[in-house]
Amino acid sequence: MKLLYCLSGHPTLPCNVLKFKSTTIMLDCGLDTTSVLNFLPLPLVHSPRLSKLPSWVSKDGSLNLEKELKECAGRVFVDSQPEFCLPERELLDLSTVDVILVSNYHCMMALPYITEHTGFTGTVYATEPTLTIGRLLMEELVNFMERVPKAQSATCWKNKEIQRMLPGPLKDAVDVWAWKRSYSMPEVNSALSKVQLVGYSQKVELFGAVQVSPLSSGYSLGSSNWIIQSHHEKVSYVSGSSLLTTHPQPMDQSSLKNSDVLILTGLTQMPTANPDGMLGEFCSNLAMTIRAGGNVLVPCYPSGVIYDLLECLYQFIESANLGTTPFYFISPVANSSLEFSQIFAEWLCHNKQSKVYLPEPPFPHAELIQTNKLKHYSSIHGDFSIEFRQPCVVFTGHPSLRFGDVVHFMELWGKSSLNTIIFTEPDFSYLDALAPYQPLAMKCVYCPIDTRLNFHQVSKLLKEVQPVHVVCPEQYTQPPLTQSHRSDLMLELQPPPMPYRRCSVLSLPFRRRYERVYILPELANSLVPSEIKPGVSLATVSAVLHSKDNKHTLQSVPKPPPAPLSKKRKRVLEEPPVLLAPKPLLSGAVPLEAFLATLQKHGITEVKVEETADGHILHLQAEDTLIQLEEDGTHIVCDNNEPLRTTLRDLGEQRESSS
Amino acid sequence: MDAECVSLLPGVCEVLAASGRSLPDDTSLEKLLDWFTGLTEAGGSLLDACPCLLDFISTVVHNTASDPGVLSFTLRLTGLTAATEDGFQRLQERSVLNQVFHRQRWQEAGLWEDPCFRIGWIQGLRSMLRHPKALGFFVQSDFIDPLLQLQTDASLFVASAANQMLAHILLFFQPASSPGCNGADEKEEDGDGRTRTTSAEYTSAVAAISEYLKASLVPQKYTKLRQSLQILKLLALLLARAGPPLWDKLLQTVADSLEELVTAGCGQLTLPLMDVILAACSRSGADERVLDQHVLDQRVPDQRVPDQRLSRLLSSMLNVDEPADLVHAAAAFLRRGHHDIVHTARAVRILLLPLHIVTGQSLLGTNTTADERQSSMVEQLKCKSSCISVICVCLTNTPQITLTPSDSLPCPPQLIVIAVLSLLRICSGSSSSSSSSSSSSSSSPTGCSEVCRNVIGSGKVQKCALEALTALSSSPGAKDAISEVFTVLMQYLDNPDSDATVLHKSYQALVKWMSVSPDLSVVTDPLRRGLEEVVKKRVCDMRWEVRDSTVEFLGHLAGVPVTGTPALLGVRCTTPLLKEALQDTESYVRASAISALAKTLTHSWQQGAALSQEETEIVSRLLEILSQDTEGFPRRAVVRYFISWFSLRSSSSSSSSSSSSASLLTQCVRSVLSQGSADLDWEVKVHTLELAELLLDEAFSGHRGYGKDGAASDRTCTPPTHAEGAESQLAGVVELGVISALLSGLVDCDRPVGLRACRLLVTLRDAVCPPSPDATAAAVATVSCELPGWGWGQEVRKTLGMKGSDIAAEESIGGGGGVNEGGDGASVHVSVCEALTSLGLDERLKVLTRSSDHVHNSPLSLLQDILTASAAHTHPDTQPGQEVIVDCY
Repeated sequence: MKLLYCLSGHPTLPCNVLKFKSTTIMLDCGLDTTSVLNFLPLPLVHSPRLSKLPSWVSKDGSLNLEKELKECAGRVFVDSQPEFCLPERELLDLSTVDVILVSNYHCMMALPYITEHTGFTGTVYATEPTLTIGRLLMEELVNFMERVPKAQSATCWKNKEIQRMLPGPLKDAVDVWAWKRSYSMPEVNSALSKVQLVGYSQKVELFGAVQVSPLSSGYSLGSSNWIIQSHHEKVSYVSGSSLLTTHPQPMDQSSLKNSDVLILTGLTQMPTANPDGMLGEFCSNLAMTIRAGGNVLVPCYPSGVIYDLLECLYQFIESANLGTTPFYFISPVANSSLEFSQIFAEWLCHNKQSKVYLPEPPFPHAELIQTNKLKHYSSIHGDFSIEFRQPCVVFTGHPSLRFGDVVHFMELWGKSSLNTIIFTEPDFSYLDALAPYQPLAMKCVYCPIDTRLNFHQVSKLLKEVQPVHVVCPEQYTQPPLTQSHRSDLMLELQPPPMPYRRCSVLSLPFRRRYERVYILPELANSLVPSEIKPGVSLATVSAVLHSKDNKHTLQSVPKPPPAPLSKKRKRVLEEPPVLLAPKPLLSGAVPLEAFLATLQKHGITEVKVEETADGHILHLQAEDTLIQLEEDGTHIVCDNNEPLRTTLRDLGEQRESSS
Repeated sequence: MDAECVSLLPGVCEVLAASGRSLPDDTSLEKLLDWFTGLTEAGGSLLDACPCLLDFISTVVHNTASDPGVLSFTLRLTGLTAATEDGFQRLQERSVLNQVFHRQRWQEAGLWEDPCFRIGWIQGLRSMLRHPKALGFFVQSDFIDPLLQLQTDASLFVASAANQMLAHILLFFQPASSPGCNGADEKEEDGDGRTRTTSAEYTSAVAAISEYLKASLVPQKYTKLRQSLQILKLLALLLARAGPPLWDKLLQTVADSLEELVTAGCGQLTLPLMDVILAACSRSGADERVLDQHVLDQRVPDQRVPDQRLSRLLSSMLNVDEPADLVHAAAAFLRRGHHDIVHTARAVRILLLPLHIVTGQSLLGTNTTADERQSSMVEQLKCKSSCISVICVCLTNTPQITLTPSDSLPCPPQLIVIAVLSLLRICSGSSSSSSSSSSSSSSSPTGCSEVCRNVIGSGKVQKCALEALTALSSSPGAKDAISEVFTVLMQYLDNPDSDATVLHKSYQALVKWMSVSPDLSVVTDPLRRGLEEVVKKRVCDMRWEVRDSTVEFLGHLAGVPVTGTPALLGVRCTTPLLKEALQDTESYVRASAISALAKTLTHSWQQGAALSQEETEIVSRLLEILSQDTEGFPRRAVVRYFISWFSLRSSSSSSSSSSSSASLLTQCVRSVLSQGSADLDWEVKVHTLELAELLLDEAFSGHRGYGKDGAASDRTCTPPTHAEGAESQLAGVVELGVISALLSGLVDCDRPVGLRACRLLVTLRDAVCPPSPDATAAAVATVSCELPGWGWGQEVRKTLGMKGSDIAAEESIGGGGGVNEGGDGASVHVSVCEALTSLGLDERLKVLTRSSDHVHNSPLSLLQDILTASAAHTHPDTQPGQEVIVDCY
């Protein structure tokens, strides 16, 4: 069975398990962090505003979760360490997962939850940049959480009875009991120790049954799509791919051709926002704010789009006369991120690759750092506070605005309308992210930059690679809810794609038709093919089928040991079966006229011949027997008259072999 | 003709007759022919002027081994020579003509294969066919058939020339009774003295050609499509210009074939067919308004193609099955501006149908006649490429549609504006239904979604729709849509995905629509704020094109008259943005910012308001740009800025202008003149001279002798009072640096600069320097100006012939290594009047007025070139190509 278990409902943070040819393969391990939007921000320094927020009390006053729920500008937030929505763990026994294939660093954030607490004993495959940057992201996350520990863990609100009475998004949150707090650094280390590095197009054998191989997907450093194939079946897993020319190596499309099934996830979350336009919007709003004397805050991840933003700004700051404005990049892993990006030469686009061999670094942010235009700090504490100069541009995390240094800048700059916050990461709704900071005077600009495939590109891609079937999240099969008239923002395919949602189990629509079997040379030598029609020869094989590690081999039948010259007579009776000389191969159709003549010769005269669509039916009235002569089969129907059947068979065979 | 040319011509003819290979370049023959054509048109006889041509022609045509290029040239030359009856006669006497145009002979020689030869044959004959004798020769030689064959020649140029030629024969020799030919006499003489006669030859030519048209118009096979196409082109050409008898005859001959062609419904022929029918209709009685009754009566009634028949043809054309052809036919009909109500209404419905389908606006009302076409149109629109092209055709025609009489319109013109707006919304991805909150149309329908998908994000449709919207601002009832137009345009300006051109067009549309109504109270405050925000953002755009359009827009905005309500963007908002744009990295943006600033300040200049601190800052920044900017555009713009400041200021009442402003302007003008005239860019210099001209105008406009056209007839009687004024005015002008600018311009190496300066100096001289010395002259003569010891000063001194000590000093300086003592050399003072009279301005003006390549373009030079090249060819030791290298500077 080819089954696909869908453990995540988030189309861009997928987690699916594919059972294919006796292997169990987990495809990505995304962590849905949008759940943190329901929590209060974790300030780095004490925030009087946040601590003074009123507790939420239900309208009739019957419900009072004073400790757990706070109210801000009409929205209710959980006052606790933020929690994440994990992939579904009940749908199947995750300890049976053999391997996990990771497609990019954003899609591995749930790895510690899976590898550490489910009995997982397999291997994780990922490319080197994916592992390195994934580790940075995890480190940052853990750091953000652990540096402002919150003792309290709110659970009362999760009670079904209570949750039902809560307002707004909290009421509709699903699987709240499965939400978990962040993992710890030891867990991260342990999880990442199970990662085995692979390079693009490297073929990895899984138990001899299937071969998996990563392909460049063009989305981020080291991001990959995966090919999972046996000798006769091919499944492609496309997750987070991009056709735009940004920093990573371009997408490898041709290797996706001839797939039986293509699992399609990780399309752009912003199908209507063209990255180029957004980049322009980002730059002009930034320049506009700085010119007016305000500060710009850019909540972002420490790796990914930020490289392109910095590159774009590098060209832009001169032309916009922003040469003197300081740019700050604050993240616990800022330094590593900027440095690592410069050394992953083989994972970069061609243009940047060639720069690695020149004295100039591939990314221009090195020059920004050299010329002191870009400065990076691990946190707002320490050096940063000494050098901090306004107006400035600050890049910092976390994009959810719930934890990390960004919380501090929100508190600091939120009150002035001169300042601007520019959202570039597409993962969070900016209105939800800003909710606990209301009322806010700061200007907000939303220019999400998502370079992943849009519907137009994906339909072109699918036209090109022509998979037999496409499996995708259900969100891709209808236009977005808010833009129901945009029939161009959905996948329209023939045959229609198979949609999945969280907890779906799909049976993939292809059958194993063939299996490759090897034949040993000495056995092959012994075959005597006979030509049955020009160019086609057949031979009967008698052999022993040997199966090991999903490899099948035909071996010669072991010669029976020469009969031991035993004196026990009893053994003589058990003679080895005599190997009869193979009968001549039968092929072709039974010629009717000749067959009737033969029957007559053998005394069967009362034959009624009836013509059918596929051949003839002969009714042997005296024998009460039917003979169906069809193109590819002959059936003799007679009730319990084995001798007659054998006779008729032999007669038929005679005719056939002589024809 | 130049005697020198005549003397060179025989040699040239010899070279050409010998071989065409040694020509300096392949345009020489064309140039030579141009020259001959010019001579013929001037009215001279070519053979009289250049007797050697006759020998040349006969020599060349007897030698079939000649170069095809030279032969082709000879054919055309022969035609040119035979264009007059006298020339024709002389060629006939030498029996050259038969030889020259003997097609079979050329065919046998293998020359006919060369398209350049065939075109020479056609053009030669065409030049010749200007008198009846030539026509007689043409018909008797049976040239019509080969010409008709050439109409579908493999070479497009040959085919087109043949078509033109056929049209020429029929139109040129047609009996002069068409309304355009002043009269209806059988025989009359036109301006050239040609006699037009309905000769037997003409009749037979008409018969042959129309027979051919009739027989070959309907394509028998698909391969003959090209022939039909050519014939349709010819027919369109003929019908548009033919007089009534020919028109009638032609139409009568081809009417059946046309009908057949229309019913055949061949897509590729739709447009040419429409052209023919429209050309026919425009001359038909139904639409003919200039044709007087007299002419109409002249037509033999039963020989005329009835108007109903034409009208039926037109109806069939507006009813073809293929939707794309239908749209194109309707567009062609509308473009011709016919006034036939029935067909106009039909064409309008056809053109509105695609918009009706895409936008879902009920443009076609409840009338359901469109429905039969609707489904086929929808099918057509489902294909992306044809959808976009059809929609664009429809959009382009919407402005005209709204201007058609209301009885031809299926909906009020406002609804068309609304439809274009909702198309724009669909293009940008927001449906018309989602934006209904701001929409005044209550129905807020949505179009066919499969079709909508094709236009979403299409830049081409967006641009087309914005152009249409701009033009629609002048349609009746436009005012009602203004607020919605603003909303949509604002969306476009704000949309991050808008292409730079789309933004530019949106700005243009906005400016245009703002002038629809001077009352901008319909523009709500959120819209105003939105515009302010969006403009602030766009001046920071990454694309310089966008910044440029935005800055330009700010300038245009200042030019839109506003009454009652505050302007869309106040000066308080725009000026800081423009000031910022002066620092832009892109020179075009800086230049646009400067001109936009000038426009923004126009009002305050006109009112003579006192200068603000900001304006003073701007002025100093502009002077900085003039002296430091590395690009020409901003510097040009700076000079223009001061030109407009100066001219607007002086047009206002001088009393109200504040003295601070005036003194700053004077100060600026002085530095603009000195810097601008020393600029490296010639356009900056020309602009500077324009400013100098304004100063001269202001100083001397009261003087009688000061005339722009140099008319100085009454300068002798200039009253002395004026002369006294002249003295002080001249001194003032000198003091500002005008004279220095003019003199430096005079010796400038760029001709436009020199020419302009020279003209101005002549005007000045005529105004202030009286020819006879008298008291006033003496006073004026005392005014002197300074000539620096370097650069232009030196040049002027040389022209003035200032010998003696000055020159000696200069020479010693030159000998001393070119470094002047004290840096600026020894400057001298000369009397302005003296300088003006002794600079030889009139001579100079004559030289400057001639174009700079007049020497190289003269026929003499051409003939010399040909001879030299041939000499070089015959003496291979001279390096080939040397000549060419010298020519290519």
